[in-house]
Amino acid sequence: MRKLAFLGVGSLLLALGALAIDSPTPAAQAAQSAADTLPAWKLAAGDSGSLKGPRQPIFFRHDIHVGVNKMPCQYCHSSVAESSEPGIPTMASCMGCHLIIGGSDSSHKVEIKKLRDAWNAKQPIEWIRVHSVARHAHFPHMRHIKALGPNACQSCHGDVARMPQVFKVNNINNMGFCITCHLERKINRDCTACHY
Amino acid sequence: MATIVRDPSVPTQTHHEVTRDVVNTLGTAGRGYLLLLAGAVGLFLVGIGTFIMLLKDGLGLAGYNPPVFWSVFITTFVFWVGIGHAGTLISAILFLFRSPWRTAVYRATEAMTVFAVMTAGLFPIIHIGRQWFFYWLMPYPNQRWLWPNFKSPLVWDVFAISTYLTVSTTFLCVGLVPDVAAARDIMSGWRQKVYNIFSLGWKGTDNQWRHYSRAYLYLAALATPLVLSVHSVVSWDFAMSIIPGWHGTIFAPYFVAGAIYSGVGMVFTLLIPLRRVLKLEHMITDYHFDNLAKLTLFTGSILFYAYLMEYFVGWYSGNTFEQTTFWRRAFGPMWWGGWTMIICNAFVSQLLWFRKIRTNLTSLFIISIFINIGMWFERYVIITSSLGNDFLPFAWSQMNPTWADWGILAGSFGWFGMWFLLFARTFPVVAIQEIKEQIPYPRLRKGGH
Amino acid sequence: MSDATQPEGIDRRRFLTVLGVTGAGAAAVSGCSTAKVEKLVPYLVQSDDQIPGIPTWYASTCTECGAGCGLHVKTREARAIKLEGNPAHPVNAGKLCAHGQSALQGLYNPGRVKGPMARRDGGFTAITWDEAIALLSEKLQAAGGKLGVISGAGRGTFSDLLSAWTQAQGGRVVRYQAFDFEPVRAANQQVFGTSEIPAYDFAAARYILSFGTDFLTDFVSPVEHQRGFAESHGFNNGQMAKHVMLAPRLSLTGMNADEWIMLRPGSEAAVALAMANVILTERTGNPADANGLRTALAAWTPEKAQEASGVGAEVIRRLAREFASAQPSLAVAGGIATQHRGAIQACAAVNLLNYVAGNVGRTVKFGADLDAGDGYAALESLLQAMEKGQFAVMIVHEANPAYSLPKAGGFAASFAKVPFKVSTSLYFDETSHLCDLLLPGQHALERWDDLRPRRGVTGLLQPVMEPVFPTLPTGDLLLRTAQKLGGALAALSAPSYEAHLKTQWLKTLGTDEAWRSALQHGGVYGDTPVTSVKLAATAANVAYTAPVFDGDAGIDAFFFAPVPSVMGDGRFANRPWMLELPDPVTKITWHSWVEMHPETARRIDVREGEIVQLTSPNGTLSVPVYITPAIHPEVLAVPLGMGHTAFGDFATGRGVNALDLLDGKDGQGFLPYQSARVTLTRTREFKKVAKTEGTTRQLGRGIADAMTLAQARAGMTPALARKAEGHEVEEINTDREVEAIEGFRASQLEKRNIGPYAAEGLPMWGMVIDLSRCTGCSSCVTACYAENNIPWVGEEAILKGREMTWMRIERYWEGGEDGDPLEARVVPMLCQHCDNAPCEPVCPVYAAYHTPDGLNGQVYNRCVGTRYCGNNCPYKVRYFNWSAYNKKAFPEPLNLGLNPDVTVRARGVMEKCTFCVQRIRGAQNTARLEDRALRDDDVVTACAQACPSNAITFGNMNDPASRVTQAQQSSRGYHILEDLNVRPAVTYLAKVLHRSEG
Repeated sequence: MRKLAFLGVGSLLLALGALAIDSPTPAAQAAQSAADTLPAWKLAAGDSGSLKGPRQPIFFRHDIHVGVNKMPCQYCHSSVAESSEPGIPTMASCMGCHLIIGGSDSSHKVEIKKLRDAWNAKQPIEWIRVHSVARHAHFPHMRHIKALGPNACQSCHGDVARMPQVFKVNNINNMGFCITCHLERKINRDCTACHY
Repeated sequence: MATIVRDPSVPTQTHHEVTRDVVNTLGTAGRGYLLLLAGAVGLFLVGIGTFIMLLKDGLGLAGYNPPVFWSVFITTFVFWVGIGHAGTLISAILFLFRSPWRTAVYRATEAMTVFAVMTAGLFPIIHIGRQWFFYWLMPYPNQRWLWPNFKSPLVWDVFAISTYLTVSTTFLCVGLVPDVAAARDIMSGWRQKVYNIFSLGWKGTDNQWRHYSRAYLYLAALATPLVLSVHSVVSWDFAMSIIPGWHGTIFAPYFVAGAIYSGVGMVFTLLIPLRRVLKLEHMITDYHFDNLAKLTLFTGSILFYAYLMEYFVGWYSGNTFEQTTFWRRAFGPMWWGGWTMIICNAFVSQLLWFRKIRTNLTSLFIISIFINIGMWFERYVIITSSLGNDFLPFAWSQMNPTWADWGILAGSFGWFGMWFLLFARTFPVVAIQEIKEQIPYPRLRKGGH
Repeated sequence: MSDATQPEGIDRRRFLTVLGVTGAGAAAVSGCSTAKVEKLVPYLVQSDDQIPGIPTWYASTCTECGAGCGLHVKTREARAIKLEGNPAHPVNAGKLCAHGQSALQGLYNPGRVKGPMARRDGGFTAITWDEAIALLSEKLQAAGGKLGVISGAGRGTFSDLLSAWTQAQGGRVVRYQAFDFEPVRAANQQVFGTSEIPAYDFAAARYILSFGTDFLTDFVSPVEHQRGFAESHGFNNGQMAKHVMLAPRLSLTGMNADEWIMLRPGSEAAVALAMANVILTERTGNPADANGLRTALAAWTPEKAQEASGVGAEVIRRLAREFASAQPSLAVAGGIATQHRGAIQACAAVNLLNYVAGNVGRTVKFGADLDAGDGYAALESLLQAMEKGQFAVMIVHEANPAYSLPKAGGFAASFAKVPFKVSTSLYFDETSHLCDLLLPGQHALERWDDLRPRRGVTGLLQPVMEPVFPTLPTGDLLLRTAQKLGGALAALSAPSYEAHLKTQWLKTLGTDEAWRSALQHGGVYGDTPVTSVKLAATAANVAYTAPVFDGDAGIDAFFFAPVPSVMGDGRFANRPWMLELPDPVTKITWHSWVEMHPETARRIDVREGEIVQLTSPNGTLSVPVYITPAIHPEVLAVPLGMGHTAFGDFATGRGVNALDLLDGKDGQGFLPYQSARVTLTRTREFKKVAKTEGTTRQLGRGIADAMTLAQARAGMTPALARKAEGHEVEEINTDREVEAIEGFRASQLEKRNIGPYAAEGLPMWGMVIDLSRCTGCSSCVTACYAENNIPWVGEEAILKGREMTWMRIERYWEGGEDGDPLEARVVPMLCQHCDNAPCEPVCPVYAAYHTPDGLNGQVYNRCVGTRYCGNNCPYKVRYFNWSAYNKKAFPEPLNLGLNPDVTVRARGVMEKCTFCVQRIRGAQNTARLEDRALRDDDVVTACAQACPSNAITFGNMNDPASRVTQAQQSSRGYHILEDLNVRPAVTYLAKVLHRSEG
C-alpha cells in the first residue's frame, strides 16, 4: 500500500520520482561495490554487520568456500544448470562437509556450531534473500548457464569469491541490466520471453 | 433631426469608463459570488474523495460492465475537451477574421478554454487502471528501451491535449498583459503584486505595442488550427477502432462541430449569470448573445446533419453489425439516451432560428442547459451503446453508472467552476484594451449638432 | 512503486517452506521493489524427486465420482498445482472433467476441518489424535456391536477394510452414493437376471438413442462416455453417428443431440416398448429368444405410446427403423434426470429395445460391473434400524446424507437417535454438524488408497504432498482403533494403512518392482471382460404404467424436475471454480434458478429474474426464473446441489436445495428425484440472474457455424453450405482490399523476423477447434482456471459481466420457433491470437503486442489499464482486473494451488488467454537444453489437454507436418468474424448436423 502514499503526494511528483528511480546504470553500482573486496578470510565473525549486504543468521563465507577452497558454485546451487531455479543447499549437504570440518579458528567454529545445532534441532536456517527477481519476470537460470557456461554466475551476481558476505552487485530487477546484455549479444528481446 | 443608427459593436462608454467598469469587477467579492465558489469547491472535494476511493479499491467501484470498458470518465473527458473549443474559436479565429463582436466576450471564453482543458487533462489519469503509471504514456528515455506506441490514438491524445493546454494558456496570458497592467496601475496591495508579475513589466510604449500585437496575432494563428486538430484527434480515439458505431469516417468534423456547439452552450451558461454578478450588462449586450446564438444554430445544424448521416451510413453500409448498433441505439435498451442526445442537440438548436428566442437571455440560458446535457449524453451514448452490443451477441451487455461515476463527474464541474470563478474575480474578464480600440476618438459629451 | 499483487494473506513462510527461491511467479510484484525481506528456507534433506523449479508428476486416481479416472498430478516444490488425466488409463485416457480438476480446490479448501474435534458443551473443541482415537475406541467398546457406518467411499481396499473392521465388531456398513443407478440395476435384474451396471460403448455405436439420460454429465462414467461419444458422433471422414434425445428437458447431452424429441415426463417406457414392438414386427433376423417377446410387446403400439408420451406415432416408427438399421446402435436410460417412479420400467423397456436391436454385448457390455455402492435400499434399511435406535455408534465417511437425502425423509431426526455420531468428513458439512466427534480424513491427494471402479481396472492413489492440515487417513484411524480394541479386530494388525494397502497388493503383484511400476502407472489395467447375458423369464413382464407423481395434477400444476448441474449431488458446491463455472445449459453461476418455457412464462406472465415460489406437498422453494426454450412447457427444472446449510463459506446459504420438495420415503429401492408436482406462485420480487450470457441468438452472424451431414460429406465449406441453405453470402473483400491486407500481413511477418528472431526458425502457434466434437462440457474452462491462476470474482462481479474466464463456452440457440427444431450450438471462445490483431495498435504502451512466434502477447507489468484493447477486441476475450481479485480469490490455503509459472495479475491490468505461453517457453527451454528443435507434441495447452472429446488441437502452423496444420486443411474450417480480416490463429471446424433427411 506504499502506492497510496505515493499517490497522496501527487501523480506528477511521482512521475518525476519514477524517472529518477528508473535510470541508475549497473556499471555505477559495480564500481562502488569494488570497494570492499579484500582478503576477507582475515575477517573476524563479529563484524559481519559492518560488511555490505544483509547480515545472515550464519556468517557464511562465500569468500572462503569459493575463493579459498575453490568450490564450484554448482556444488551447492546444484539445480542451476537444469532448472530455472538455482536452488540453495540443503542442510544435509552443508553437514556433508561440516560433520568433519569444524573450522580453523574460533570465529569460524562459532558459526559452524550454529549450523550443527540447527541440524541437530532439525531446524532449517532462514537465510536472508539477497537476489530476487520481480515476480512478473521469469528468469530461466539454466538457459543462461547453457549459453554462458558454468562460471557465468558472476556476470550477474558479482565476484562472490571475494565476498565475505554476499551483497547485491547489480540491480537485477533493473530491466536495463537484462536488456543491455541481450542487446550486446543479440539475444531475443521479445517481452514474453520473460514476462508471462 | 435624423436618428443616428449606431453600430452595436461600438461600445458606448469612454476609455475611462471601460477601465473603471472592468476594474470594478475585481473588487471584493459579493455574497452570490462566494456562494457559487463554495459550491464549486464542495463539488471538487466530492471528486477528490471519489478519486481516492478509486485508487484504493480500483475502477470496479465505477459502473463498468464489460464489454463496456469505457464509460462515464471518457465521456466526461470528451465533454470537457469539447467545451474548450468554443473559447479558442471565439478568441483566435474570430480575431483573425477581425469580427468586432468577439471583444467583449473572448476573455471569458478563453479562460473557459484553459480551465476546461485543465479539467479534461485529469481524466486520462483518472480513467486508467494503474493511475500511478500514467507517465508511461509519455515518451521519455529509460533504460528499459521502451517507448510509447505512437500508433495508438491514446498517445496522440496525450500530445494533442498537452499542446492545446500550453498554447491556449500562453494565448490567455499574453492577451491579459495590457489589461493587467492597467489594473496594476489602479490597484494596490497583493493584487498589485500579482498584476506586476502577469503584466511582465508592461509600460505601453509604442515598441511594446508593436511587438505585442504581432505576438498576439501569431499566437492566434497558432491556436486556430488546434480548434480543428485537437478534437479531430479526440474523435480518432473512437474512429480508429473497429467497433460498429465508432469507426465512422465523419467522426472528425462531426466531433469538432459538436465541440464548438457544446462550447458555445457552456459560454451561455457561464456568461449570462456572470454578466449579472459582475454588472457588465452594458458591455456584454444582447448583440453579443445574438451572434453567439447564431454560431450555436450553425454548429447545431451541422450536428443535426451528422446525426442523420450516422444513421444513414449505418443503414446504407449494409453491414449487419453497423445496422444492429444503430437500431439498438434508437430502439434498444439505451433508447432514452439516444433520443436525449438527438432532441437536446439536433432539435433544440433549431429553436434559435427565431430572433425572439435568440435575444431572450432566459430562453438562451435554458437552451444552453439543454445543450450541455445533450452533448454529454451524445458522448455517453456513442461510447457505451456502441460498446455494449458489438460483434458477439453472447457478450452483449449494458452498463449502469454508479456513485463513483457521478462523483468524478461532479468533481470535474467543481474543479472547473472553482478555477473559472477565481479567475473572474482576479483578472479582467473583459478585454479592456480591445474594447477601447473600438471606441471612436474621444469627444466631448455635449458635442454633436 | 511496488504494487504488491500477492494473494491476500499468502503466508510466505509456508509458501516457501520447501524452497524460498521458488516463490517466483506464483505471486507477482510489478514495479521494482524488493524492499521487503524475503527468507530462503532450505530443505533439511532434499527428497531426490524434487528439483526446485521443475515439476514432479505423480500418478493417482480421481475420487470425485465413481468412475475412477486416472490422474497425473503436477506438483511444484511439493505442492499439487494441477490435475490432468492419465493417458495410460483405460477409462479416461488422459482426459479429465471439470469436477475432477476441481479436486484441487477440495484439497486446498478453506472450509476443511483442520484437525480432530469433539463436541463439548454444544460447540466443537479441538483435541489431539490420541484423545480422539481413545474416545472413539472407548465408545466402540461400549457399543458392543451396535455400530453403523455410512460410507461414500468407492470400492477398493479401504471399503474391504472398512467392512472387515465393522463386521468384526458385529456392525453394519452401507456404501452409499447420492447419485446411484438403482433403477438400472433393478431393470437389468428383471430383464437379464443380473443386477450389475454394464459398460456402454458409445465409441462403437452408430446410432445413439438417449431416453433422458444425461450421460455426459452425471451417468456412471461421464469422461469415458464423452470420449466415446466424440469418437462416434464427431464427423470423421464422412462418417458420424446420429444422436437422438427423448426428454422433457434439454440437458448438456441433449444439447448435443441431432434431434431432440420432447416427451412427457415418465413416459419413456411407453416409447421404448413401442419401438421394440415395431422392430420385432417389421424386422426379420431378430435374436431368436427375442421373438418370444412378440406377444408380450404386441400390445404396445406406437399409437398407444403417442397418447402416453405426446410423441407422434410416425416419429416413433421412424426412430425404430433408424435405430434398427444402424448397426450397432445404443439406447440408454436411467440417471437422475429420469429417476421418476417409473424409472425401473423405463430402463427395463430400453433393455428390451437394446436386446431386440441386438446391441447387448456389442454396445451394452455386461461383465464390467461398474461400481455404484450398495444402493439406496440398503441405506433405507440402515436408516430404519437407526430410527429404531439399534445403533450406539454411527460413523459417516465421505458421505453427507443430512444434505443429500430429502428433509422429508427425516434423516436428521433418526440420526439424532444415535447416542454417539462420528464424521470423518474433510469439511464442515451438514452431517458433521450433527456429529459428536469429527475425525477429518485425508484428501485423495494426501493419502494412500486404491479403487476398483470396474473389473480389470484397479487404480492406485498415493500422497503427492504433505497433508495440508494435521489430518489422519481414515484407514489408519480404523487400524489404530483396531489395535486399541483388539479382540476380533486383532487380525487387522498392519502398522499403517499404507502398509496394509501394500501387503494387499503384494498378494496379487508379488514383487516390489511390480508394486513400484503399478504406482508409476497409477494402477493395474487389464481388459474388462464381456459376459453374455440372456433374457430372463421376468423380461416378458415389462410394461408401462403411468408413474405416480406427488401433488395433484391441475392446470396450474407443473412437473418438478430437479436436474444435476455443475454442483453434482452437492459435493462440489464448496469450490469457487465450480460455483463460477457457468452451467453448460443455462450459463448461470453462483445461485439456483428455475427453468421455464417461454410459453409458460407468457401464460402466467413472469419475466426472467422474477422470484417464484414452488410448492409441493413436502415444501416450498423461492427461486428466480430463467426462461429457456429447452424445456417442456409442463416442466419446471431446478438444479440440484445448492442450498447448503453448512459446508463452508462458499456453499452455505447459496441457492436452494431442490430436494426439499421431494418425498424422502419411497418403497421402490431408489430415490425418485422426478416424482413431484409443484404449484407456482409469483412474488413480484426480482433478482438479476447471474448469467454470463448476453443474447442467446447468433442473429445470423455465423459465429457457431454448422452444416448438414450431406454437405459435410460433399466437402462444402461453411460459406458454401450457408449459400446452399439459401442465405445470401456477400463476398468479403474486393481484390484491392485483399491485396492491402496481404501486404500488411507480409510486412508484419517481415518485421517479426528482424534481427535475433530470424535465426530461430520461428514457429507460428495456432489452434483448431472441431465443433462437431465439442460438447460444451466446460472441462477446458476449469483447466484454464487451474493452469493460469485465473481468479474467481464472485456473484456480484458476474452480475456486472466481470468474469475472468479466458476460455468461455458460448451457447447459442438456433430454431425453436414456428415448428423448426430447437438446436443448441456451442463454441469455445478464447483469444484468437489474430495476425492483424485490433488490440495491438491501440495499446499506448505496447503491453499488447505481437510476439515473433505469432502470439498475441500481453505484458501484465507494462499494462497501465487504458482498456482500449478490450474495446477493440471483436471477440471480447480480454478481461480486466477491476478490483484486486488476486487478493480475494486465493485465501489460505487456496493460494497453495497457484501455478508458480504464471504471474498472478494485479488490480488494474488487462489479461487474456496466452495460448499457455508458460508451457511454450518451458518446452522451448527444455528443447534448448537438449539441443533439439521443438516436437509437435511438446506443447499442449491446458484446454487441449483436458478436453474429453479431443476437440482442440494446438501446435505450430509453420510446420506442415504438425497436427494443427493437418486439421486446418479440413473443408469445414472457418474463422469467426472472418470478414473483419483480423486473421485469427484459431480455426473452427463447423458442426455437422445428422438430420434425418441428411
